[in-house]
Amino acid sequence: MITVNAGNITKGMYLIFKDKPHLVTKTEFMSPGKGSAVMRVKYRSIENGAALEFTYKTNEQVEVADVEKREMEFLYRSGDDLFFMNSKTFDQVEVPMSLIEAQIGYLIPNLKCWVLWYKDKAIGVGLPPNVVLKVVESPNEVAGNRINAPKKTVKLETGIEAMVPIFIKTGEKVLIDTTSGEYLGRVK
Amino acid sequence: MIKTWQRIKNDPKLLKTYFIRERVIQTIRDFFKKGGFHEVFTPIMVPVPSIEPNLEVFETQLRTSQGLKKRAFLISSPEYAHKRLLAAGVGSLFEITRSFRNEEEVSRLHSPEFTILEWYRVNADYKDTMKDFEQLFLEIIGHTEMLYQGQEYDLSLPWPRITVAEAFQRYSSIDTEILLDEKKLIEVGKERGYKVESSTTWEQMFYQIFLNEIETKIRDSHKPTFIYDYPLAQASLSRPKKEDLGFAERFEVFLAGVELGNCFSELTDAEAQHKRFEADKTLRQAQGKLDFPIDEDFVEALRSGMPMSSGIAVGVDRLVMLAADVPSVSDTIFFPDNELFSL
Repeated sequence: MITVNAGNITKGMYLIFKDKPHLVTKTEFMSPGKGSAVMRVKYRSIENGAALEFTYKTNEQVEVADVEKREMEFLYRSGDDLFFMNSKTFDQVEVPMSLIEAQIGYLIPNLKCWVLWYKDKAIGVGLPPNVVLKVVESPNEVAGNRINAPKKTVKLETGIEAMVPIFIKTGEKVLIDTTSGEYLGRVK
Repeated sequence: MIKTWQRIKNDPKLLKTYFIRERVIQTIRDFFKKGGFHEVFTPIMVPVPSIEPNLEVFETQLRTSQGLKKRAFLISSPEYAHKRLLAAGVGSLFEITRSFRNEEEVSRLHSPEFTILEWYRVNADYKDTMKDFEQLFLEIIGHTEMLYQGQEYDLSLPWPRITVAEAFQRYSSIDTEILLDEKKLIEVGKERGYKVESSTTWEQMFYQIFLNEIETKIRDSHKPTFIYDYPLAQASLSRPKKEDLGFAERFEVFLAGVELGNCFSELTDAEAQHKRFEADKTLRQAQGKLDFPIDEDFVEALRSGMPMSSGIAVGVDRLVMLAADVPSVSDTIFFPDNELFSL
């Protein structure tokens, strides 16, 4: 059994809570009044999507869910499900949107990513560190404000927004960090 | 990683959020000056820091040109200096200063270097400080409805007050008799599925139940709440209640899941204080924390006579975070530690 020290739990981990697998959606370190430190963890059940929270002592051991990663290709979204395909076997699998969260903003068709499995059930997706996305909406450059190397907010093809330098125009492609959402560069 | 100063330069609108700190600190100063408190200025670097069993301090070394070497520490709170000043006869006082805590997770509510507000009202007890706190907070926010991260909170006075014993009874169905009994409390916790090891202490179980079953319900009430009368084991520097010896005159105040302040009717009994320091020193040693002597000069100040006072420590960064409606204390600091030290 693999365990993690509760003090080291981070967002995105899959842990066993009350005998069931859960995704960590948020963590908060607290040191109450004069007491010893604790870690408050917000969970989402990967079985039914229910949100729960629990506060651990930081030195408590918490069981890690045995999650397996398989490389797959993102196909499309249909209703509340996302469909992925194994490019070698052409097997397809769906993952409910409720388990994907912010990652949805980086999924473009044919993107190579990892589908996460727990006991033969697809439960989530792991993204590459950065993705290339097309700018679909961009405000006009504001004249006379170049000294401060300003940035502007643009809309990308997946619907998310990003702060980019003002020289980026609609139709151009940009490299975006999938963890921070930050602009990394222009792609020609 | 883009730095805060760069982000501000790119988007000068952000300054508005950072300037809220300036306004909050001005409001605090005005509030206490109007109330007849003296503003005091005490050292950040001291020869003996607070001997809290659960907090680690920063240590450095003071060296003179003559080659004299002295251990020196950054304060984790200015309380020992303040109480000396109370004993000296300064009267009601306050200070906004920097404090430091080491070996803590850098998180939404914690930063190794932080701004602390402490105030002491003489000839007063913790119930007077509750009134000071709710009025101060209301002045900072400016109105009785507070919107924080999309949630509304009702700040109308007086704020709800509940004793620790009532809270355990109401939200967790645990009687005072069980609450104060180490074995029984751990037994109940075990039945409820909390992890119990041979090393599990009463204090750990107290907080497991408090944070999982009580604090979450207080947060969901959408009102600030004073939790008061802590079991003696958590008295720290507070004095025992006259009417009920199992509890001490201490409160903590919570809002939106954030602990905003910790207040004591201050212990003025020098010998009792010395005993607690000895126990805390032993606990520090047992946990492998930095070992340093008991602050005998502070005990001496108590022995010389300190007026009955009530004192509170408040995390200013948290007040600013709430006033600015931002998710994390680092969003209100120009040079947050996580950015400075790449944490």
